[in-house]
Amino acid sequence: MLQFGFRSGLTLSFPSPPRAAPGVEDVITEEAGIRPPHGTAPRVTLEVEDGAAVAQGAPMARLRDAPDVCFVSPMPGRVARSVLLQGHRLSEIVIFGETGGDTVTHPTSDAETEPGLRRLMQRAGFWPWIRRRPFGGMPASDERPAAIFVMATDTRPFAPDPIEALAGLEEAFSRGLRALSMLTDGTVFVCQHPGPALIDRSGADRIRTVQSGRRHPQGAPGLRIHALCPAGLDTPVWDIHAEDVALLGTLIETGQLPMTRLVAVEGTALRESRLVRTQVGADLRGLTHRIVHPGQHTLLSGSPLDGHPAHWLAPSDRQITVLPRETSGAPSHWLVAALTRSATPKPMIPSAALDQAFGGMIPAAAFVRALSSGDDETAMKMGVLSLLEDDIALADYVLGGNAHLSELLRGMLDRIRTEFAA
Amino acid sequence: MIRGLWTRETVAIVLLAAYLPLALFWLWFGGMEEVQRLALAALVLAIWHLVFLLARAQPISLSAVITALAVAMLAPEGLGPFRLILGISFGAVMGELVFGGWGRNVVNPATVALSFLGFGFPGFPWPEIMTPVAWAAIPTAVIGVFMGVLPGGVIFAATLGATGAVALGVLPSFALPAAGVVLVLLVADPVTSATTMLGRWLNGLLYVALVILFATGWQDAAPVQFAVAAALLTSLAAPVLDEVALALWYAQRRRRHGRS
Repeated sequence: MLQFGFRSGLTLSFPSPPRAAPGVEDVITEEAGIRPPHGTAPRVTLEVEDGAAVAQGAPMARLRDAPDVCFVSPMPGRVARSVLLQGHRLSEIVIFGETGGDTVTHPTSDAETEPGLRRLMQRAGFWPWIRRRPFGGMPASDERPAAIFVMATDTRPFAPDPIEALAGLEEAFSRGLRALSMLTDGTVFVCQHPGPALIDRSGADRIRTVQSGRRHPQGAPGLRIHALCPAGLDTPVWDIHAEDVALLGTLIETGQLPMTRLVAVEGTALRESRLVRTQVGADLRGLTHRIVHPGQHTLLSGSPLDGHPAHWLAPSDRQITVLPRETSGAPSHWLVAALTRSATPKPMIPSAALDQAFGGMIPAAAFVRALSSGDDETAMKMGVLSLLEDDIALADYVLGGNAHLSELLRGMLDRIRTEFAA
Repeated sequence: MIRGLWTRETVAIVLLAAYLPLALFWLWFGGMEEVQRLALAALVLAIWHLVFLLARAQPISLSAVITALAVAMLAPEGLGPFRLILGISFGAVMGELVFGGWGRNVVNPATVALSFLGFGFPGFPWPEIMTPVAWAAIPTAVIGVFMGVLPGGVIFAATLGATGAVALGVLPSFALPAAGVVLVLLVADPVTSATTMLGRWLNGLLYVALVILFATGWQDAAPVQFAVAAALLTSLAAPVLDEVALALWYAQRRRRHGRS
């Protein structure tokens, strides 16, 4: 069992109203939107027409170059509209829910073999829930990762506790883990907080438990991957949320992929917070409209650090943050503006806060300098391929949001991808 | 959106707060001349920051006050305003502003200004650091390290190194007040000191080693003079120390993972 420096990281305190009621509410919003993983727009073939009735788990769109990989309907309903960008790239498919629809059952007879398991995961719509590194997005349909990280810890502010999400699903979780270990020749790492091990380790020598502390960013998948099994151009690493692994276990047992997940709704613009079990792609307004303060607000899919303004809950997110919308106040005096703004971003000053924003696992100042000067080679040596935007969102926050590290990281990853694809 | 605090100007303000004990003790034990020198240095730096704001759109920074304090405290005495203005201008422009302002500089502008004055006008006497002022460097270091704006590794390593050297008798104790004040004002600058953990320890130890070398080997040099020279060489070596630390880290990761 591996341990990390439990004291590294930062304790963040964001204000949020208390929960109105203990326990978890089951909420299925009336509308839902299917979107590809954040930052990607894959080429797809639509399977359904607008207005068609669909069952839960029915394929809505397939990837053009890997027809087994489906985006499926999270609930029984009717297709409201499907939006494709130029070149048949998926933007979003909106569904109106209808009661009493069917659920698609997939054959699970060949889930014991690796090709059968892959086919089952791809047809049931599980594939977009996997995130790969380097570069992010979902993996190619035939990719074999060097390691798989199952994140049973989430240290982001307001994140729901994955252990709570796994309650009652322990058996499905270990079934899902065993299935995942078929997909890789390497290790399946289960990252969890100190406490009783989530898995029974007998008979599973390639499944390993890793413990980490409760301060952010110790539970950030990218930093765990960076420390244990860095992703490289030809050694991709996947990360999956522990709850999704339990849902995979249920899929293998029953042939039906449950589409609901534990989601925390928090933020300063709310009158009360809530913890709900809702479907993938849930309508954020549907989950919040009764509990927000009057006035303008912004709905983020994700945590206050790395969330994106959105209508629908993104495939990898388990939090919704509601913040008051920033009103652009009176324009500042021209002299003040001239003294404080400039064409180039202000440089970052190394401080202990920045070191801790990377959990002490990466030489922070040197890494941020490599990122902002666009030094791809140094950044790759430091492990930039293991990281995605949400891993460095904390550093961006700490530096006051004017270092634009997330954009710089995305630009660098895209540059590396095009350079090495040639 | 929600934003954290540690922007460049926050760091400058916290650094300024950390330097307050040192500045107050120095002004308390000094006289009118000290106040005038500080005001002159601040004025010259403000003008240069304004020039670069208008000419190059570089935002001004409160760090100029810290530079002014360091120059006013450590510059040779009796230079007169013309030489002082010349030295401060050279330090601020060539040491900091042409690189893009505070945060992009390679050496501390105060170190450059002081070295320029020291080498350019060698006839003038260097100031004596009074013992109470030197003691005030301790609260400065404590506040700075506690708030995370001064690199703890540099200060710890230098303190440990100096304690060991004094115990062994290789570092004469007359050098300590000046070396301590130069440590917190110039060497432990967050921008120009090393940024990796190992690099910071090497940085602090290198500074102590240079101070020992100059204190024992440099005939007729004043304590402030050789401490500033040690600070200049240390900050020039800081990127190399960082490179050493990073090379070791890469090698360690390659051994552990088979790839970087």
